[in-house]
Amino acid sequence: MTGPSPSIPHPVERLLPYWRGELAAAEAAAVAAHLESCADCRATLAAFTAIAGRLERAPDPTPPVHWGAFRAELREALEARTGRRRSARSWRLGALPAALAAGLAALVLYLAIPGQNGVPNGRGPAGENAAVDNAALASQLDLITDLDVVQRLDLLEDFDVIGRLDRLEPTGKS
Amino acid sequence: MADREPGAFDLLVERYQERAYRIAWSIVRDREDAKDCAQEAFIRLHEAAGSFAGQSKFSTWFYRILVNCCLDNRRRGRGWRRLLGWRDAADDEREDDPIERHPAPMEDPGERVDEDRQLSRLWAAVDALSPRQRAVVLLQCREGLATKEIAEVLEMSEPTVRVHLHRAFTTLRKRVGTTP
Repeated sequence: MTGPSPSIPHPVERLLPYWRGELAAAEAAAVAAHLESCADCRATLAAFTAIAGRLERAPDPTPPVHWGAFRAELREALEARTGRRRSARSWRLGALPAALAAGLAALVLYLAIPGQNGVPNGRGPAGENAAVDNAALASQLDLITDLDVVQRLDLLEDFDVIGRLDRLEPTGKS
Repeated sequence: MADREPGAFDLLVERYQERAYRIAWSIVRDREDAKDCAQEAFIRLHEAAGSFAGQSKFSTWFYRILVNCCLDNRRRGRGWRRLLGWRDAADDEREDDPIERHPAPMEDPGERVDEDRQLSRLWAAVDALSPRQRAVVLLQCREGLATKEIAEVLEMSEPTVRVHLHRAFTTLRKRVGTTP
């Protein structure tokens, strides 16, 4: 380039920002002053603005897309992604209560067996109350679906009964 | 976003889908990849909607997500190209990558008028730019973003954007001339 302004070198990287009005006032004034005295920079700016203008006006060269299909695919991908996350989250959230439920059910069963582990055998009022409380608690927690059977857990003293527990009548007619 | 306002996300997709696809295509230069990138950007937007703190314009934030998707896509593609033994572009600054020279999927101008031929040459020259330079040029000339916004989208400084712009326009000038 020839004929640079004595004050600044060719401000080539500021020509487009200058043209777009993005420079601060002082900087823009300096570029304008340089352009006054530099034919090369004026030619560069003219060429750049011509190219920018053509690019702005040119028809869109991107290949066409069916937007309905685009949105449908997006919806599917989004559902797949959120579905996977939801199922992973529900597995994580679901596994803990299930484990707790199983543990609590085992505890209820264990405590409800009269005479075990120092727990009263259920013959006395305290033992009966404990068994009922446990069973009621368990039913509230949805751990036990057939409360009638559980409420008659004193039958579990009998190993024969335990052996045919799966055949026990739900209404307690064993 | 979708949980709170089911219609808002759809509306947003409709509003931005064309721009998203156009920008994605300008970077990845493949129709299917561009669609994938645009869709992935919307999915990331959906997931990250709560994290938009409003420091920048929403469009700037979204474009940044989109450009990151495109650059991820290109990085994956570069891995494949390397595996297939193609010369790697090494960096976005180099302009002799065969991928970068891949012509734009536009119609052959054939016997069209001069203006069409010139435009065709111009787009071919734009195609031959590095992805980053191409993105800078198209974000400015096609999407109307200011240098500051482009800097935010591409996560680079304003002076760096200016350098990219200047180099890109200098290259375009050499390739297509200066005929307005």
